[in-house]
Amino acid sequence: MREKVCVLGAGSTKYGKLNESVIELALNASKDAIESAGITPRDIKAGYISNVFGVADKQVHMAPVIMSNLGIPNVPGLTIESACGSGSVMFREAFANIAAGFYDCVIALGVEKITHTGTTESTTLFSYCSDYFYEGGNGASFAGLFGSMARAYLATHKASEEDLARIAVKNHENGFFNPKAHIRKKITVDEVLNSPVVASPLKLYDCCPFSDGASAVILCNEEFAKKSGRPYIEIIGSGRGASPASVQSRKDITTIPSTIDAVQQAYKMANISPKDVDFAEVHDCFSIAELIDIEDLGFFPKGEGAKAVRESRTTLKGDIPINPSGGLKSKGHPIGATGIGQVVEVFEQFTNKAGERTVKDANIALTHNFGATGASAAVHIFKKVK
Amino acid sequence: MSKSQSHKQSSREQFIDFAKKGKILVNQCLNCKNLSLETAYYCDKCFSKSFKHVSYNGKGKVVTYTIQSVAPKGFEDVNSYAWVVFRIDDCGLNISGFLPGVSSPTDLPLGTPVKVVDYHDKHGLVLEKLEV
Repeated sequence: MREKVCVLGAGSTKYGKLNESVIELALNASKDAIESAGITPRDIKAGYISNVFGVADKQVHMAPVIMSNLGIPNVPGLTIESACGSGSVMFREAFANIAAGFYDCVIALGVEKITHTGTTESTTLFSYCSDYFYEGGNGASFAGLFGSMARAYLATHKASEEDLARIAVKNHENGFFNPKAHIRKKITVDEVLNSPVVASPLKLYDCCPFSDGASAVILCNEEFAKKSGRPYIEIIGSGRGASPASVQSRKDITTIPSTIDAVQQAYKMANISPKDVDFAEVHDCFSIAELIDIEDLGFFPKGEGAKAVRESRTTLKGDIPINPSGGLKSKGHPIGATGIGQVVEVFEQFTNKAGERTVKDANIALTHNFGATGASAAVHIFKKVK
Repeated sequence: MSKSQSHKQSSREQFIDFAKKGKILVNQCLNCKNLSLETAYYCDKCFSKSFKHVSYNGKGKVVTYTIQSVAPKGFEDVNSYAWVVFRIDDCGLNISGFLPGVSSPTDLPLGTPVKVVDYHDKHGLVLEKLEV
């Protein structure tokens, strides 16, 4: 029988262009999560770390370094990489180990430090997360891969570049209220449409920034959570999915199969349907990604996401607020940390720490995070514990 | 026998050789006849690992693309280009390539015929528009 798994504490650095080393970022977020949970490192039985480009800061195999500096060098840790989906894919492994009864309390920490390499180097490094022989090796950046998906979507469904811009505007509106966001700046549709083209049809403001940052959560079983006497939230659904690695290999370039598989598993485990979700943190590496996500996650029928955006149904006060944190677009995207950052947002929303971006009367939340163009994905569903 | 004489070409090396002649090398499953790109080691329909190579003319129609304005390293020497997904004629598989000389969407409507002309060390599978 599966143990119930809870999130007992959460912590995050600011996301942005940061001075600290990758290890310092990791330790800062970890300390905040440990203090948030009201525990000491002695309570942690395993460390789950997600990171993609530790090599850019001359640190791979970082789990033992982090555990040592947390004062628990004899506690096992591992580092998981799944491109931009690293955080949620790792979170699923941490969840599974507590659910299976191996541990009663673990730390799940995602971290990335990349901005010091500069735009060209970062663009190139990220292109290695694609199916490189067919994609990065033929000149595609990640903006380019999603640009090709945007072109296919706009040619197939009733959507326009203005609709994509509206998504970016909404996320900047939300991120403005997030003190940890990389870009806290409101923008307009015109500013998005007039921003420089990065990979057509995507422009600068259609694209998330390169960010540094770290986020961490403490996961535990229900018994541990209840004994702590601290506020906690429950994970009621988890799902994993995979898609053909390259864009060229997908039957339909306007959908991401891994998202659909992952969310259907998560809904089944949680015994809910999309209409029961009160808000969602979804993977909006580019504006087109959010448009595809809200359909693949079942919030709107295929091809009708743009209409929902135009009708403001995904704003903070809409039917289904999407990315109250500001999303990857405004909050930022330190790729190893993002999936965990989404869980931090849910924890803050459910424990009254989200301030002006609080989604009112929310009880069920969903996080969705994928790697590369969706080759890997994980979805988790959370319930507020009253 | 010298080391160079004993070197057996990898499937990727064979793909590149064919691409330099304007051809696309694909794998056909000996069991179920399913076609895969040459990098596949197992058939994704029947999981057989027995294939034969089949060569197609490297011609097809554009399925989607992007025009890269911010290029990765190695592509800074190109003025403007598109990364293109195209469907190989008579094959049903899609593949991706590098098409220089595209600076505006009006240069490349979806469905434009393209062909493979080379495989370049820095730029990969090189395409050009096929004059109809």
